[in-house]
Amino acid sequence: MRLSGLLILTFALTAPINQARSDNAAMALGKKVFLELAEPQCALCHTLADAGSTGPVGPVLDDLKPTADRVRTAVTKGVGPMPANTILTREQIDAVALYISTVTGAR
Amino acid sequence: MGKDLSFGRREFLGAGLTAVAAASVGSSSEVLAQQAAKPLPAYVGWKDPNALIIHSDQTLEMKRDLFGSSLITPEDRLFVRNNVKAPSDSIVADRDGWRVEFAGVKEPKTLTLGDLKRMGVVTLATVLQCSGNGRKYFMDKLSGDQKMSGTPWTVGASGCVIWSGVPLKTVIAALGGQVTGVKYITGTGGEEIPAGLNPKDLIVERSVPLKNLDHVILAWEMNGKPLSVAHGGPLRMIVPGYSGVNNVKYVKTVALTVAQTDARIQSTNYRYHSMTEKPSPDHPAVWEQPVKSWITSPLTDKKAGQVQVTGLALGGMNELARVDVSLDGGKTWKEAKFVGPDLGRFAWRLFVLPAVMKPGEYTLVSRARDAKGNVQPEDSPLNGSGYGYNGWRGPAVKIMVA
Repeated sequence: MRLSGLLILTFALTAPINQARSDNAAMALGKKVFLELAEPQCALCHTLADAGSTGPVGPVLDDLKPTADRVRTAVTKGVGPMPANTILTREQIDAVALYISTVTGAR
Repeated sequence: MGKDLSFGRREFLGAGLTAVAAASVGSSSEVLAQQAAKPLPAYVGWKDPNALIIHSDQTLEMKRDLFGSSLITPEDRLFVRNNVKAPSDSIVADRDGWRVEFAGVKEPKTLTLGDLKRMGVVTLATVLQCSGNGRKYFMDKLSGDQKMSGTPWTVGASGCVIWSGVPLKTVIAALGGQVTGVKYITGTGGEEIPAGLNPKDLIVERSVPLKNLDHVILAWEMNGKPLSVAHGGPLRMIVPGYSGVNNVKYVKTVALTVAQTDARIQSTNYRYHSMTEKPSPDHPAVWEQPVKSWITSPLTDKKAGQVQVTGLALGGMNELARVDVSLDGGKTWKEAKFVGPDLGRFAWRLFVLPAVMKPGEYTLVSRARDAKGNVQPEDSPLNGSGYGYNGWRGPAVKIMVA
C-alpha cells in the first residue's frame, strides 16, 4: 500500500514535468516543421511573428489564430491554394499544430 | 456549432475563460456583431468595418442583415476572397496601360486596357459568390471524425454587382477568331508569386468551357467605379453564372485552350469530391452556380402583426421561375412575389411574402426554382471541400414573435 501510494505521488509530481518537457520538444519540432521540414515551408506563404516569417501568400497566422485542430485539418487536407501534406509524419503535423496554436494564443 | 465560431467566442471573451463558460454565451450572430471592431487589412481599409466579418485577412464576409432590398451590393460591404495576396495599388496607377495577352486566336496579340475600351462596351449584373459560400452548413453536419478545411461562410460571401467591360467575343473576333480545336477559355491572374514556390501551385489560372464565350466580359468597372484592386482591378474576367474563383482578378492572359490548365487551382482544387477521395482532375470542376435563395429579413425577434418576409434568389445560369417561403421550417409553403427590377438571369431577385405573424416560434426558409425546373434541395450533398451549398435548410432563420 505504502509503496503504491508513493508511486502514485511520484507520478503525480513528475507527470506535469514530463508533459512540459514533451510539449517543449513538440514546440521546437513544430517550429522546425514551420520553417524547414514542410514542403513547401509554411513560412514561405504565412506570416507568423514567433517564427520571424513574413510569407505573403496565405492568411496571416497571428491574426487568424487557428486552433490546433484547424491547423491539422488544413495541413492534412489542404485549403484553397495550400496543398495537402504528403511528407510530414503524424508527429510532425501534431507538433506544428501545437506550435502555431500556442504562439498565436489560440490554445 | 463549428469550431471556428466557438473560437470566435473565446476571442471575444478574452483568454482564460473555459469553453463551458463560452458556450453559455448568446448566439453566434450576437458574438459576430460584437467582434466588429477588428481592424480591416490595409488593402481593404476603405471598406466598412462594421459591415464585414473578418475570417482572415483574405476572407471577409458581409453580415447577413446588410443585404438590403435594393439588389445591388455596395462595394464597401461586398465580401472579399483572395486566393493569393492582392497585388499592390501600383497595378492601378496606369489603368489604361494594363496589358493583356490573348492566345488561342488566329492573330495572337497583347492589348492594353485602353485598346479594349475602344473595342466595345457592355454592362451586366451578376451574382458574385464565393464557391464555398454556405460551407458552414456542411461543417455543422460533419460527424466526429470528419474534417473540412476552409472558411465557414454562411450566406454573406455573395453580392450582386454591375460590371462594365468589353465582351470577350468582340476581342476574339478582332483577333481573327479562335484557332481550331479549342474547348476552354483560360484566364490567368496577375498575382505575384513569391520566390521559392512553384508558380503552378499558386497561380490563379482558371479554365471554363468555351460555350461561355457568348457572355464572358473583361470588366474594368464595377457599380459605376473603376474596379478596385480588392475586387480584381484594373481588369477582371467575368464569367456570368459561375462561382467567384472562375472570375479571374487582375487578368493578364486570356487564352482559348484545348485543355484545362494544369495549375493546381484548376486541376485538383475547386473540385467536387467526396469526403474520403483526394480531389483530382477527374472530379467535376466548381463552375456553374446552382439555384439558391435565403431569407434576408426578418432575422431577429419581432412583435406580433404584419411582417414583410424578404429574401434573395439566384438561378445561377438560368432565369428564376418562383420562390416559395415557409414560416414553419418547411412543413407548409407559400409562393412569394418577385419585386423590383429583373436585372437578367445572372443577377439575383428580391422576393417578398407578406405575413401576419401571431406570437410563437417561427423558422423562416425559402426555396427557389429556376425556369428549367431545378429546385433548391433541402440540403446539398456533402462534398469534401464544402463547395456549392444551395440547400434551403442551412440558412433557416429561427425567430420568436411576441
